[in-house]
Amino acid sequence: MFFKENLKMALDSIFANKMRSFLTMLGIIIGIASVIAILAVGNGAASEITGTFSDLGATTISLSADDSEQSGDALSNEDLNVLKESIDEIRYISPDEQTQGTVSSDDESRQAIISYGTPDLQYVSQAMSSTLIEGRYFNQNDFDESADVVVIDEDTAEALFGRTDVVGENVKVTIAQTSLNLRVVGILEGRFGDMQGAFDTSELPVFLALPNSTLGNEIPQFSGMSSATVEVEETDQIEPVSDQMVRLLELRNNAVGDNIYTATNFLQALDQVNNVLGLFINFIAAVAGIALLVGGIGVMNIMLVSVTERTREIGTRKALGATTNTILAQFLMESVILSLIGGVIGLTLGILLSNIIAGALDIVPDITLGSVVLVLLFSTAVGVFFGIYPARKAARLDPIEALRYE
Amino acid sequence: MIEITDIEKIYRMGGETLTALNKVSLSIQEGEFTSIMGPSGSGKSTLMNILGLLDRFDSGQYFLNGTDVSSISDTERAHIRNKEIGFVFQSFNLMARMNVLENVMLPLVYGKVPRKERKERAVEALEKVGLGDRLNHLTNEISGGQKQRVAIARAIVNRPSVLMADEPTGNLDSKTTEDIMRIFQDLNDEGTTIVMVTHEPEMAEYTKRTIHFRDGALQKDEYLVPKRLSKTEVR
Repeated sequence: MFFKENLKMALDSIFANKMRSFLTMLGIIIGIASVIAILAVGNGAASEITGTFSDLGATTISLSADDSEQSGDALSNEDLNVLKESIDEIRYISPDEQTQGTVSSDDESRQAIISYGTPDLQYVSQAMSSTLIEGRYFNQNDFDESADVVVIDEDTAEALFGRTDVVGENVKVTIAQTSLNLRVVGILEGRFGDMQGAFDTSELPVFLALPNSTLGNEIPQFSGMSSATVEVEETDQIEPVSDQMVRLLELRNNAVGDNIYTATNFLQALDQVNNVLGLFINFIAAVAGIALLVGGIGVMNIMLVSVTERTREIGTRKALGATTNTILAQFLMESVILSLIGGVIGLTLGILLSNIIAGALDIVPDITLGSVVLVLLFSTAVGVFFGIYPARKAARLDPIEALRYE
Repeated sequence: MIEITDIEKIYRMGGETLTALNKVSLSIQEGEFTSIMGPSGSGKSTLMNILGLLDRFDSGQYFLNGTDVSSISDTERAHIRNKEIGFVFQSFNLMARMNVLENVMLPLVYGKVPRKERKERAVEALEKVGLGDRLNHLTNEISGGQKQRVAIARAIVNRPSVLMADEPTGNLDSKTTEDIMRIFQDLNDEGTTIVMVTHEPEMAEYTKRTIHFRDGALQKDEYLVPKRLSKTEVR
């Protein structure tokens, strides 16, 4: 009813008192700007974290066995094999563990970090993700036969032999007083190559990888494992595969209901991070909400002043035929427009602010259409909620009293 | 056209009661130009407010154009004020932020007259009061006499059955007062029924009929030959 006229009257009235209108809007501007900035930066941070986690492995499951009895056989190579055979979705499965030891040639010896696992280790291990530059990785055959093979990195080759074309050479790997004579089958790109010359790398450990079957054969404590890393094809396979693996392991090892086996994934960790982040966003949003509430009270206050100032105008309008509802609509429109303009200014300011903050934090601010719509709806709601009382007051004025008002 | 019987209006303030109108009966015919005279507190303004459907009364009956409007709702009263009654106030009561044309169009907005027709009718009304050349002036850019002429244009723009003027010349000098009274006489000649409240006997001389009020009751009702002013010169 009279939408266009009311809109024009509202704008006239707001622009007639520019300073007053601006100060009234300030609370809403600050409230909306903070909400937008917080949401944008918060969501930006969240997707940044999500992105990082996805790179780390949105298809990775960490399988672990509670080996409190120290039996070392809660999880065995046989278990891993059965899992891989029976669950099609599993691409790779391997323990992803390291131990320390020494590696030596006839002349030289170095501290080493030794990774061990199935041939899938090369795919699941961050530590072993370097590029193969010579030879091959240890394969299923090596694994099945517990072959005495090892993959070393360039640094090891350099340290032990002074050269890198050492495929076929033998090295001695010593772990917990047990020595293994292993044949080098592949060379991985060195980690510290870039740092050669920058400082003395001779004290840094070198990296090796070998089948855990070989290791377990020689040293009984390595025959079992307490955890394994599993790769699946798709993120949405994580949950079903996790459940299947745990169930299968419990059945195989007579441990149903013992809660020995657990499968966790990065998504769960991500959920936790998101929960904390969400809590933080909600908290600040609540503070911003208080700013909006104060802004709304400001709107109500100024509308009450406006109604009092315009009492005679209201009386005249009523004499000219304005009904109670017409007056109500007019003043409601004014408070809504007032807070909506505040909302739009706040929105603009918030977008600006979030770009500045996000720029400083080196993230991409995430301003969704949803949050823009939400903000506009919210400022409209503030206008209606805090405008209804003054508007009703205006609408209910007695025309005689209003006309007589000085 | 206006027919009131035994209208009673009582103000209650705390324990005291004040009878503003004491069983007033009155009828005003179409085409009359009536002044209601009386000292302040005589009840003349109260009567005017009741006739203009701005105020309610405690007992009695009011027929406007043959319809009983004694106990209708606020919304209906607003609609009748819009369609049937034009108001002219002592202090003009124009909208400060609107220009002359917008002020005159306002009753048409409330009367839901189509946008295009509003302007035509407002211009027509403004030409009648000699302000056809001031359409886009703001109301603070024109003189008091011109403001009252805008107010008259606003009062007649919806072609009401009756025009009610409450001390319309109270804030004007004698020269502009004559202008306003001349416009009233012209409008009355064209058939507009006018009721004017005044406390100045000189104003009543311009009207055809004068009703004297005292202490909330009708004291004297006389028909006299009005003092005629020449036709409005559009200036």
